[in-house]
Amino acid sequence: MTRSLLLSFSAILAAGTAANAQTITINSFGGAYEEAHRKCIIEPFEQATGASVQIVTAYSADGFAQLRAQREAPQFDVIHFSGGQEIIAAQEGLLVPIDPASLSNAGDLVAAARPNLEGGEGPAYSIVAMGLLYNSDVIETTPTNWSDLTNPEWHENLVLTDISNTYGMQGFLMLNQVAGGDLSNIQPGLDLVGQMLDGGAIVVSTSPEIMQEFAQNDAWIAPYSSDYAFVLQDAGLPIGFVQGAEGTPGVYITANLVAGRDNEELSLQLIDRSISPEAQVCFAEEMSYAPTNVRAELTGEVAENTPFGEEALSGLIRFDPQTVEAERSNWVDAWNRTIAR
Amino acid sequence: MTDRRENLILVAPGLLLLAVAFFWPIGQMLMLAFEGPDGPTLDHFRRFLGDEFYLTVLWRTVRLSLLITLICLLIGFPLAYIMARVGPRARLWLIIMLILPLMTSVVVRTFGWMVVLSRSGLIPSTLRDMGLVGRSYAIMHSELAIVIGMVQVLLPFMALSILGVLLRLDIRLEEAARTMGCSFLSSMRSVVLPLSAPGILAGSLLVFTLSASSFVTPNLLGGPRVQVLAASIYRQVTQTLDWNFAAAQAVILFAGVALVLIPYIMLMRRPAHG
Amino acid sequence: MVSAIPLPLRIAAWVFVAFCALLLIGPLIVVVGVSLSESRFIAFPPDGLSLRWYAQVLSSDAYLAAGWLSLQLAVLVTVSATILGGAAAIAIHRRRLPASEAMATYFLSPLVLPTIIYALGMLMLWSAFVGPVSLLTLWIAHSVIAVPYVVRTTLAVLADSDPFLEEAAATMGAGRVQRLWLVLLPQCLPGLAAGAFFAFNLSFDEAVVSLFLRRPGLTTLPVHIYNQLEFSPDPAVAAVSTIMIGLTVFLILVIDRLVGVQKVASN
Repeated sequence: MTRSLLLSFSAILAAGTAANAQTITINSFGGAYEEAHRKCIIEPFEQATGASVQIVTAYSADGFAQLRAQREAPQFDVIHFSGGQEIIAAQEGLLVPIDPASLSNAGDLVAAARPNLEGGEGPAYSIVAMGLLYNSDVIETTPTNWSDLTNPEWHENLVLTDISNTYGMQGFLMLNQVAGGDLSNIQPGLDLVGQMLDGGAIVVSTSPEIMQEFAQNDAWIAPYSSDYAFVLQDAGLPIGFVQGAEGTPGVYITANLVAGRDNEELSLQLIDRSISPEAQVCFAEEMSYAPTNVRAELTGEVAENTPFGEEALSGLIRFDPQTVEAERSNWVDAWNRTIAR
Repeated sequence: MTDRRENLILVAPGLLLLAVAFFWPIGQMLMLAFEGPDGPTLDHFRRFLGDEFYLTVLWRTVRLSLLITLICLLIGFPLAYIMARVGPRARLWLIIMLILPLMTSVVVRTFGWMVVLSRSGLIPSTLRDMGLVGRSYAIMHSELAIVIGMVQVLLPFMALSILGVLLRLDIRLEEAARTMGCSFLSSMRSVVLPLSAPGILAGSLLVFTLSASSFVTPNLLGGPRVQVLAASIYRQVTQTLDWNFAAAQAVILFAGVALVLIPYIMLMRRPAHG
Repeated sequence: MVSAIPLPLRIAAWVFVAFCALLLIGPLIVVVGVSLSESRFIAFPPDGLSLRWYAQVLSSDAYLAAGWLSLQLAVLVTVSATILGGAAAIAIHRRRLPASEAMATYFLSPLVLPTIIYALGMLMLWSAFVGPVSLLTLWIAHSVIAVPYVVRTTLAVLADSDPFLEEAAATMGAGRVQRLWLVLLPQCLPGLAAGAFFAFNLSFDEAVVSLFLRRPGLTTLPVHIYNQLEFSPDPAVAAVSTIMIGLTVFLILVIDRLVGVQKVASN
């Protein structure tokens, strides 16, 4: 009796202790994104391979910081980035070069989604458009330009996003550009933000917060992304999304292979699945992400809702990720000082 | 087998557990705080004390803890007095009222505050409806939110500490004072307060210590921009993975807390005044 | 109540108590309310009433896994803390050890030290000497924190017990084991049981140590809730939290039945 007790005891401990050889660890972005991620990629992957996936919620900037800090013993097998961090991570040797032949779907990707697989930059599996989210019940004439955000009448009901979040960063850089600045000078952007704050605008840090603002707190307009516009519409809210005439920043969500881990084959399978037509169609249906696989066929309403097709991809603005990453901590300091009240 | 042997056997496993799994880890942490690439160093401490950001964090921690302690006292003392004077039935319910938040998980409690204090939460929207604040007003992510959340958690410690002393207070002392012509308030001032001083002191020290070392509630209610020392330690450990620096901060916290705890421990070991 | 207290003061007192009740219990009620909300957005008072979030939580792998881990851990901790703490309490109570007073302080010391400092130390020690954290790490760490509670409640009950009972049994020829099993154990059983329930509650609800000693796959329920609160708060979190509150209420009632909450509170 004691012996079998002992045995079952050790079994429990061992089960908790030993890392399952068939487990990979990835990051995801929480909230509605993570739900879609699970549904479209992770769960089908687990079913197909029998492996289990551990998800750590971490936004790109934090995930990247962790990756750098954990260089000797990384915890992630696959890491997802939305802010172009993969370019620098690959240069720093934190990511493993991917042989295109190891991904069955790589050949069907648009060129923009696979600029440098051999250098370690993972493929992009979703592209998101940045634009203006607005409450169409309150704002009757559809806004058309990013510069419409400078309209002081709207500032009291404007929602900005903290730049610790990729969408916040992209939105801010676009505002900066519209205000006359560029990547070497963000002061015009900061001044504009200061004005908006003085006029009553608020700052949030996460996507659920921004949804909350539109759903319950009388937000009228915000620079944000097409995916969450879709989620809000799906939840029954009168939200419109429009791409500003001055240009549309594109956010490329990539899946990257982390260096120094044992699970390369499984991880590559996950990455492959992310860029498969089925997963892409699923993501488009869930949150209107633009697919990067040409074989992903969108039909009907979904096709209409997706912000753009292939050709438009080349017109997307991409703020140089290298500069963004290099300047990030300075910008964060300046930003924090601007929004401190 | 002697009595002594038997008792030693009884106490040994627990003793061993605490020695290996409590005192040793603390020792390890102390060591790491002074560890540098070339041997023992004070660099981590220098880094902390020389950086304005961290000094702000430290000052904020001390300041908020003092404020929280004061508020807990102002609310806790009257509450304890009332509890000491009501009948046992009512007292039981009041004790349960105190213990329930204490025994629920800190994340659950804090969640409740997050809902109530957020921009669309009950309190800010009521204030907005009354026209007292602007549209973007939120209590969340501020020092006020931290104070409110922490007071809820720590009030029971203060109240129970004072209650313990008050219950042992002979009610006849108060009545005697009243018979001799003191008003309610002045009998409070000259009889009750002085005699409950040990409980007040003990409660205050405990509350101060606990609030200085809390991180879950301040982290969630204060947000990334309003950091306290414990929250900073947590971020160092989980995000930047700078463990030596985190250990140094923990030592600073430990030192501050020990300064407060030692009088507390000495107080607790004294027999209660009748 | 002391009869010489003037009426207005008495009314003020009850208003004050009501305010305290609101402060202390309000947030818990809010959590319960949010969990019943129909919409996916957090709102209190809730828009619409629905139990859908409970259904979601009970069918969510992530929540179930975390809940299961917390449950396993709590049971393990209850067993270890009760045995070790109870034995220590008995030994201390008998006062036949050198420095019983110091021994008591030794066993109660984890109560005084801020948990975060301990959590950090444990993480560092384990990583340096053993490796990645595991269920074993959590078990040990939670036990360390729970033992003082068991010691405290057991000592409290033993303090009121009749010391001569054991002596009488010895006089009548009871051996050591018999004395422990048939006299002391029944004497401190309520305290032991109360301590056990405290230990269970403590471990199940514990967030601080568990946040430090975690790894993907080793996420307890409170830690999972913490993660959700950071990135994706929704009524599902409220549903889980309500279940946890229910568990705590149940445990408090049990402890009260066993030992009386008053006794525990005044220690």
